[in-house]
Amino acid sequence: MNTTTAAHSSAGKLLAFRWDNWRLALLATLIGVPLSAFVLPNFAAVVATCILGGLLVITSVVYSWTRHVGGLLVAPAIAVLVVMNIFPLLWSLGLSFYNYRADRQSLSFIGLRNYERLLSDPVVWERLTTTATLVVLTVAVQMVVGFLFALLFSKQFPLRRYLLILVLTPMMLSYVAVGAFFRYYYDPTFGLVSQVVNMFTDEPFVLISSTGGAIAAIVIADAWMWAPFVMLLVLAGLVSVPKHLYEAASIDRVPAWRRFWSITFPYVKGLLMLALLFRTIEAFKLFDVVFILTDGGQSTETIALYVYRQAIQFNKTSYSASLSYILLFTVIVLTNLYLYLANRRTKEG
Amino acid sequence: MNRTSKLLTTLVVAGGMGLSFSAPSYAEEITLRMAVPDWPPTRIMKKLFDENYEAKSGNSVNLEFDFIPWPDYYTRLNASLTSGEQKYNMAVSDSQWLGAFIEGGYYRKLNDLIDADPELKTILDGMHQAPLQAYGTYPYKSENIYGFPQMPDILITYARTDVLCEASEQAAFMAKYSTKLPCTPEELDQMDWTMYGNIGEFFQRKKGDMLAGEPATDDFYGIAYQAGKGYDFSSMQINGFTWQHGAGIWDETNIPNAQAEGVVNSDLAVVALDRYLSLLKYMPPVVKTGSMDIFKTDELFREGKIAMNVQWIGFAESAINPETSKVANDVAFASMPGLRKADGRIDRSSNIGGQPFVIMTWTEGQEIIEAVDFVKWWLSSDIQHQFAAAGGQSAIKAVYNDPKYVTYRPWNRTWASGLEWQRDVWHIPQFFELLVQQQEQFDLAITGKQDAKTTLGNIASFQQRLLEDAGLIQ
Repeated sequence: MNTTTAAHSSAGKLLAFRWDNWRLALLATLIGVPLSAFVLPNFAAVVATCILGGLLVITSVVYSWTRHVGGLLVAPAIAVLVVMNIFPLLWSLGLSFYNYRADRQSLSFIGLRNYERLLSDPVVWERLTTTATLVVLTVAVQMVVGFLFALLFSKQFPLRRYLLILVLTPMMLSYVAVGAFFRYYYDPTFGLVSQVVNMFTDEPFVLISSTGGAIAAIVIADAWMWAPFVMLLVLAGLVSVPKHLYEAASIDRVPAWRRFWSITFPYVKGLLMLALLFRTIEAFKLFDVVFILTDGGQSTETIALYVYRQAIQFNKTSYSASLSYILLFTVIVLTNLYLYLANRRTKEG
Repeated sequence: MNRTSKLLTTLVVAGGMGLSFSAPSYAEEITLRMAVPDWPPTRIMKKLFDENYEAKSGNSVNLEFDFIPWPDYYTRLNASLTSGEQKYNMAVSDSQWLGAFIEGGYYRKLNDLIDADPELKTILDGMHQAPLQAYGTYPYKSENIYGFPQMPDILITYARTDVLCEASEQAAFMAKYSTKLPCTPEELDQMDWTMYGNIGEFFQRKKGDMLAGEPATDDFYGIAYQAGKGYDFSSMQINGFTWQHGAGIWDETNIPNAQAEGVVNSDLAVVALDRYLSLLKYMPPVVKTGSMDIFKTDELFREGKIAMNVQWIGFAESAINPETSKVANDVAFASMPGLRKADGRIDRSSNIGGQPFVIMTWTEGQEIIEAVDFVKWWLSSDIQHQFAAAGGQSAIKAVYNDPKYVTYRPWNRTWASGLEWQRDVWHIPQFFELLVQQQEQFDLAITGKQDAKTTLGNIASFQQRLLEDAGLIQ
């Protein structure tokens, strides 16, 4: 077969009207959707898009029915991922290059100006610094408290099961409920903390009257909620440590600290790393507790709260989208850093 | 066919034809949806609608109220409008949001409807200018009307008569300040900020100290007013101090000539803010956290922790309800304190509260006819009287000047005179950016992080820059 015949043959294949010709359906969709958006009225364009999309799905399913069964089975999950995650992600990435506001109809391309603006905005850097401070403190407290709780609950003692449920409860509460609870807890007039301190000092105790106090208040509230999560992961590691290792160490009279460092820690290290990763990512997005406890007052406005103001209160959609991408980038860098460190330690091990 | 049957046939046909020509047109079912904050004034509105409303058109009009909690209200309404879902035909709106949502194309300009409807025009002509301009006009104080009062509101004084009128407290106050501790509503009406400060200083009691002839069961404080960082929970009070001292905020009625620099941070404005800040030391310690908003001061008052509070009328109903207030039987209401001028007159200039309701641009055809009829019904004298009797307020002069009006609720005596002092904050689309930065700066001053001059300097320079960028200052 010469080159011309082969070309004719593949063109013929592409244009063949068959139920398994997904290539033609894709071509029709790629041409038809933008064309309908420009030419047809809104409703008709939506109908045309749905028809073309449906056709693409049908032809793809027919084509894959016998050839790619595995792919076909995961396709619904991928479709949901695309619709719910990837498309909005790409859409907001696109928006970040415009000056679009949700409350206006105008749209114009401004390239990287949003990124340029936010990277040179001292307020953004201030909010990032506040966020970083809160991340370090809150994650550190959660790790230490969570680890200690795990060590405690790895032993058997009376009422252990019930106490474990109590300790896990905060993790199941909503952020808003926790924020509201701690707001009352810290209240200088009605709050429990102030009432107790008042008994000794004869003065109401105002925790959130300084930046340090406000940060402590947020860290305590967040740690109260999430230390149990760390505990749960570490506990899973602790129960997997073979008992005979401790028995051998005990026979050899190995000191407690050495026992912990040489036997316990290696078994929980991986899970601890995972907890650190999850909690860091979550803490980076800290919003609800700060919003309810201080509303960003006492210099505690996090970057997530700042994004909320830009996006929801000021309707600066594009600007907040670009800010969100900076955050996403930061979280991805942090995640990869953790994964790199974790992998290196595994290899060393 | 005989004659009888011919006659019958003719009658039946004629009757049928007659019926077909004279059959009444069936009443349409019209459903209007309205976004409203979930609180008593809108609950009363729904109750009155359910009990009283009959559309003049004969249509079956159903008004669906979507009650949204106050803290989420702006977020939910904003999301609904900007998403383009066109879910609501009407909405209760804060007056400050007018610019943003009008420029976005959501709130309908109503002048054509008003001009075409003499009844509606008469109603608006009979309305007090302060709420009409604050709730309805954009640009502020222009001729363009976009909204009508739903729940007009002003700041007034709530006072504990059981504490203030008690004989030993009266005597001690007289001994210390050589003046009578105000106790009756008429005496409280004469209170200026100096007296308010004295009362704050006087009632600093620790748990166990004597208070109104008995040992105090908890720490007790004299005064409170809003000083919170959230939303507008300090600006609304500080604006009053600013205007009373003869200073100003950026004047949006004078675009593009009005400046922020030199006005917002003028010497008089600094004195006004200093005066506001000087009274905070007499307030409950929560003020140091920047979270003493209107909900917290309301709670402190209802829980019996303070002698006086400057608060919106919208909270008064719960203050006199024994189910929600520990001091329900001992509350008096008076005008907000003000600044006493050299001639002895008290300037009570204040930022107006309350909310208008608006109609959306996509409300058309029969829906807009029914929406306007609903507006006229709501603002009619009879319904406004019923609203006031149930705890609301009216901006219609003929209603609030009626002698019956002051008998509805104890705070209504402050209403007519209070309206004369009301002004409003900005209506421009950049409102939220101005407000958030201003609240942040006021919070720094309230929590003792910076002085009044620095605070107002920062606010003025931010506003100047933002408004210049927006083309509103040249």
